[in-house]
Amino acid sequence: MKFSLNWLRDYVTIGVSPEKLAHKLTMAGLEVEKISNVDGDVVFELEITPNRPDCLNMLGLAREVSAILNVSRKTPKPRRLRAPSLAGLVRILDKKGCLRYNGTLIRDVRVGETPAWIKKRITALGMRSINNVVDITNFCLMETGQPLHAFDYDKLEGGKIFVRRAQEGEAVTAIDGVEHGLDPAILVIADARRPVAIAGVMGGKDTEVTAATKNILLESAYFDPVLIRRASRALGVSSESSYRFERGVDYETVKSGVDRAIGLILDSAGGNLAGRADEETGTRGRFRRQAIPVTKDGVNGFLGASLTTARCKKILQRLDCAVAAGKKDVLKVTPPAFRKDIKDAVDVVEEIARVVGYDELPASLPSVAMTNVVPAASREFRSAIRVPLLAQGANEIVTYAMISEKDLIQTRQAHLRGVKIQNPLARDQGLLRPSLLPSLLPVAVFNINRGQKNLKLFEIGKIYGPRGEQETLGIMMTGRFDEDWRRASKSEADFYDIKGAAEQTIARACHQEIRFENSSQPFLEKGQSACVLVQGVDAGFLGKIDEDVLVNWGIKQKSVFFAQINLEELRRFCPPRRSYRSVSQYPTIVRDVSLAVKTSVWFQQVCAMAFRMGGGILNSVKFSEEYRGEKIPAGQRGIVFSLRYKAADRTLREEEVNEVHENILRAFVAELGAVQR
Amino acid sequence: MSWNFQEIEDTVQREAGCISDFQRLDAFRAKYLGRKGLIQEIYASLSALPHDQRPVVGKSANDLRNNISVIIETKQKEIKSLQAQSPAAEIDITIPGVAFAVGHQHILTQTVDEICGIFEGLGFVVQEGPEIETEFNNFTALNIPVDHPSRDAFDTFYLELPDPGHQGRYQLLRSHTSSAQIRIMQKNQPPLAVIVPGRVYRPDAVDASHSFMFHQIEGLLVNEDVKFSELKGLLTVFCKRLFGEKIKMRFRPHFFPFTEPSAEVDISCYICDGKGCSVCRRKGWLEIMGCGMVHPKVFAAAGYPEGKYKGLAFGLGVERITMLKYGIEDIRLFFENDIRFLEQF
Repeated sequence: MKFSLNWLRDYVTIGVSPEKLAHKLTMAGLEVEKISNVDGDVVFELEITPNRPDCLNMLGLAREVSAILNVSRKTPKPRRLRAPSLAGLVRILDKKGCLRYNGTLIRDVRVGETPAWIKKRITALGMRSINNVVDITNFCLMETGQPLHAFDYDKLEGGKIFVRRAQEGEAVTAIDGVEHGLDPAILVIADARRPVAIAGVMGGKDTEVTAATKNILLESAYFDPVLIRRASRALGVSSESSYRFERGVDYETVKSGVDRAIGLILDSAGGNLAGRADEETGTRGRFRRQAIPVTKDGVNGFLGASLTTARCKKILQRLDCAVAAGKKDVLKVTPPAFRKDIKDAVDVVEEIARVVGYDELPASLPSVAMTNVVPAASREFRSAIRVPLLAQGANEIVTYAMISEKDLIQTRQAHLRGVKIQNPLARDQGLLRPSLLPSLLPVAVFNINRGQKNLKLFEIGKIYGPRGEQETLGIMMTGRFDEDWRRASKSEADFYDIKGAAEQTIARACHQEIRFENSSQPFLEKGQSACVLVQGVDAGFLGKIDEDVLVNWGIKQKSVFFAQINLEELRRFCPPRRSYRSVSQYPTIVRDVSLAVKTSVWFQQVCAMAFRMGGGILNSVKFSEEYRGEKIPAGQRGIVFSLRYKAADRTLREEEVNEVHENILRAFVAELGAVQR
Repeated sequence: MSWNFQEIEDTVQREAGCISDFQRLDAFRAKYLGRKGLIQEIYASLSALPHDQRPVVGKSANDLRNNISVIIETKQKEIKSLQAQSPAAEIDITIPGVAFAVGHQHILTQTVDEICGIFEGLGFVVQEGPEIETEFNNFTALNIPVDHPSRDAFDTFYLELPDPGHQGRYQLLRSHTSSAQIRIMQKNQPPLAVIVPGRVYRPDAVDASHSFMFHQIEGLLVNEDVKFSELKGLLTVFCKRLFGEKIKMRFRPHFFPFTEPSAEVDISCYICDGKGCSVCRRKGWLEIMGCGMVHPKVFAAAGYPEGKYKGLAFGLGVERITMLKYGIEDIRLFFENDIRFLEQF
């Protein structure tokens, strides 16, 4: 909302500088976005919140300023108008859509130049001057907040106005030159034959006032805010009128606003008042206000302040509230009809507080009672997951939750079902992701395209499906790490890096037994993917991303690894029950083993066998090396590991260990077909 | 077996002369004084000697051992001082150390942790709510009616997920963390002091300062007697802890359907100290959060008895605060995840 300082001065005396006024308005809840000098005038741009339609006009702003500066104000005197009643000029057919319609017929006007003072006022607010009649309706709109419209009466077929819903198939070309198709959800102003205006939104081109117009019909009405808002949204048309109607205009200004316009038109365009109709649908009582009782102590108790009754009273009166003294300290506050936002005592308190200024009110600290409201476990668990990942050198990322169906297809995840968005911002953001992979791959692409090829990333975010949302961990790795030659061990990330990261993270966060089983996913390379089982429960998967998927995403690097872990499943194991196990005082005896086994024999089987034969003294198995190559027969591989023997209660004797160790080795040979190397 | 102690002594002296580092000195010590060294060998041989020779050889062996010990001690000092003088022993301490790569927590989650930490220190408890919400929790219960212009500020993504509690209506992505207020109040009775971080969504076209997904933190304190002055006091303490003691603040009346009175909180511009710059659009003030006293209608929606409780609530945008705090000019940087960006924090 723009307003002009010179115009405002017509109603209130302003003894402060424009800057000071802007500050005061801002601090009273009418935020000044901009001040500019226009042709000897100062124009303010205000942000008016949707609860304050009463401030969308000059008289309303003058009311605010009079309260804020504590000065009196004057309003333009209404002119006495005598007009014959023209019953039948207006018929309201939709009584819910239109509560009041005031139609005024003025004959023999001279459409022409607008008086300079009016022109100056409206052009200061950025409105274009058209002719005296139209300019006066705009002037009154800005002054009183009442939207008005002037029809060329001679172009209204049948000479009557009908307020009704549009019929299917009807259309109207509005004054913006656009033809709008209408439907029964839209309220229109019609003549005997067709719609001539979209009620509360915009007038029609056919019936607008032109230089040739002789007789005019002035419209001033109260339309249902919801109906106007829906029409404005459906048609994609917003106007000064619709903006005000959807926020609610003052029922009383329907008459006083148009009276002001009639007076100005008779003054500057001549003509004679031929008659008027003021139709109401009988719901006037709904705007009558009840008194709201408040007390000084109530106000001060709520604000933590110490304001006097007199000050509170003065502020409310300046805002046009009727204030009557009740019993004891009670003030009975009746807000004006146009302040629909003042309904309860808290609303009255707010009026007092904002006019006093929040900065003038005291500050204190609350006493926060201790409670047994339990902090969200999800947050604590998130940091339990995050810390080991960061310690392993992974960077945390945050990605958008929206993807497209196409993203899923090129990630080979078309079998997953995300959640569709009814009103997506863009076509490629129409789906809430059912997997983190399509969100993480673009991050890899973005970085690789910028020469950053070594990536270790993770995100803790939601994935979505028909059953709702699920907190999920995604880890992605590619490239090489430990570039420092002093520590360089291997060239590039492989399956065991992603496995290690997932394993370590889960182990640290949950302290649970984790198992990996062969699994296949269409987007992971066959033979290099596994599902993660925590206490036997499926908690996610990991593996090497299929090369076709990488090609689809334009990633040239061949080895990219991904893990996705269901954190809500994992969290069920948290907090883990942990207890101390005494540290053995006795030495460990280590025996190295080197075997050649068939490639189908997994290390996990080797370990299980060792423990089965371990006689209770095998403490752990430590993997050290795998070998595939010429020195091993085809279909076999070499594995090197150590068996670590220890007892909790004694020093193991050499012979004891030898016996168990031999048993284990024999079992490897006999049951797993292994050959000792 | 007989021992030529003179010859041994000569060999010892000759070998000792060649020792210039600790490695050789250790080998030397092992050769003579070690468990399988010469001295042990000599002692072991004593039992095979005639009785009369034993003391003589024993004494010579003792002497030899003492001599070697002295030599080793002297050599040790020698090598040490030699190494101290020799420039070859110095290392280039300016070569980078070998560091384990430690990952970087995303700056947004760091900021969330920092802000939650401040409120936790003041006695608040962190709670969370779902991103997929009902119209009731996101709008209706917060006194935001359907078809009201106050919804303009809360454009919302609707999902193709029917609302199980409301036939014909659909679930949505929460447009603010305030939606968690109702869930928390329905579950708990006052006194309540909770803080709710989370992701929220609004169909805003993406540009340098807008994103359709961002993070918010909601605060809610409910008790029988909560005052507006306490809202001011609490948020003043918070802003000073987050932005520093020097920061100036102001509370500006505003409108939120779910609080009454409502305010926006401005801090003096972090960049220009309030003088006016492009970041604060020449205003000298930066808007950082919305707040107010909980509207009685919200308590009614939560099922609290009428008039029994008062409350204060506030909400802030994590991206905005992070951008202001670290001078980040484009919100898109948070979601591009360029590792050169991530690794700065």
